[in-house]
Amino acid sequence: MNGSPHYLDELLFAVFPYMAFFTFFLVTIQRYRMQSFSYSSLSSQFLENQQHFWGLVPFHYGILAVLTGHILGFLIPREVLLFNSVPLRLYFLEVSGLIFALLTLVGLCAAIARRLSESKIRRVTTTSDWVVFVLLVIQVVSGIWVALFHPWGSSWFAATATPYLWSLLKLNPEIQSIAAMPLAVKVHIVNAYALIGFFPFTRLVHILVVPNPYLWRKPQVVRWYRRAGA
Amino acid sequence: MNRFNVRLLVAAILPALGGAQEAAEFFRQNCVSCHTIGGGRLTGPDLKDVGQRKDPAWLTRFLMNPQGMINSGDAYALQLQQQARGVVMPTVQGMNKARAEALLGLIEAESKLEKSQFIGLQISDRPFTGEDIEQGRRMFRGTRKLLNGGPPCISCHTMKDLGGLGGGRLAPDLTRVFERLEGRKNLASWLFAPATPTMQPIFRKHPLDANEALLLVALFEDSAKRGGQDDSVALLNFFFLALGGAVIGLAACDAAWKRRFRAVRRPLVRGMELTR
Repeated sequence: MNGSPHYLDELLFAVFPYMAFFTFFLVTIQRYRMQSFSYSSLSSQFLENQQHFWGLVPFHYGILAVLTGHILGFLIPREVLLFNSVPLRLYFLEVSGLIFALLTLVGLCAAIARRLSESKIRRVTTTSDWVVFVLLVIQVVSGIWVALFHPWGSSWFAATATPYLWSLLKLNPEIQSIAAMPLAVKVHIVNAYALIGFFPFTRLVHILVVPNPYLWRKPQVVRWYRRAGA
Repeated sequence: MNRFNVRLLVAAILPALGGAQEAAEFFRQNCVSCHTIGGGRLTGPDLKDVGQRKDPAWLTRFLMNPQGMINSGDAYALQLQQQARGVVMPTVQGMNKARAEALLGLIEAESKLEKSQFIGLQISDRPFTGEDIEQGRRMFRGTRKLLNGGPPCISCHTMKDLGGLGGGRLAPDLTRVFERLEGRKNLASWLFAPATPTMQPIFRKHPLDANEALLLVALFEDSAKRGGQDDSVALLNFFFLALGGAVIGLAACDAAWKRRFRAVRRPLVRGMELTR
């Protein structure tokens, strides 16, 4: 038993997050200023639409619900603990969280399978897309692993990870409780920083420019512009 | 004494007082879960008059790196480890030579007192009642809130016969913790100032009060008598509940978007051609 964080823990939980967020803000702003039209993911109209549904819908609804849970745990930890003080509510929250995590995994697998099986889609897939897929798979699988083998995350996240995250925000990292966490939890956290750092280099930037009118406007035919001979 | 001398005196005394206070606070946060000063042995030895058992230089070195001293084969360090049932004292975060010396000064001063402030949690030895056990269970499950706002045990720990989907599994099963920590006093002291890197930062700010520690000890004493440990059935139930929910979720998506475009572009282009 050793209470002192290892140097590697210092690097991963006290230095790496700042590097990731610095890269995130710097490159995101720079990319928006220099290549604002790249702030999107490609239209799927010319591509495959059958498998697309099973990648698109479960993944997006799953990840949005799971992310919302994490954000609530960060913003209102005391209220989350209060909600969980009735075991039935704790179990409801945890089962719901795992359901959405499994939906995310199903969607992610479907999206990867679609990219591997459709030549049209493979042609518009870049190296950064594959890196994002690898990072997302690690993130989702480690998250499910943590949910299953180290429950109840909604409570202990509020009690241990939230103070750590706030300490980062206050520029005074307190990593003692995180340094003692199981490996799967550490992988989940470090990989999240990797995703944040890599985010501005990928099509994930579409999260920052969500086209809300798509929810109510009628579908439109998209035309791809290509120069003659290109 | 002129004004200048008074200032010099204050300047000399204040840091010393601050240092003593800091050492006491450090001791409270990092040492009391395993040690008392004059209150008897817990996991670690009673530190009353420790300076008479070993010289300050050795004690300073040990405080700064207990594991290193054991690894070096130091006979007295090995004896201490044996007396602590194999538990190695952790290297406390923030420990350095100056702090170790300040702690030894504090221990020496406290040892001279008739009753040290670090005599340890004086827990009642009355027999526990069914109501004590029930209240302990409620605190474990979170249905009885902890006075200082700490999270309930169920967040990270499980134990046998908890019901529902059981407790958390981030930290050890506590069914037999009463046996592991060898009784009421050790366990209550541990609960009062837990020394694990995960629990310490939380319960430093939100400590249990003496009565809460007593009620949890009642629960753990009862669970140790019953024996066994939590099984994995609750975990399987948890997984299958979520899996079933996910399957229903997928079916719900399929049903909700029943009239979705099976192909987005082709019908749109066909529609445009027909309207030409």
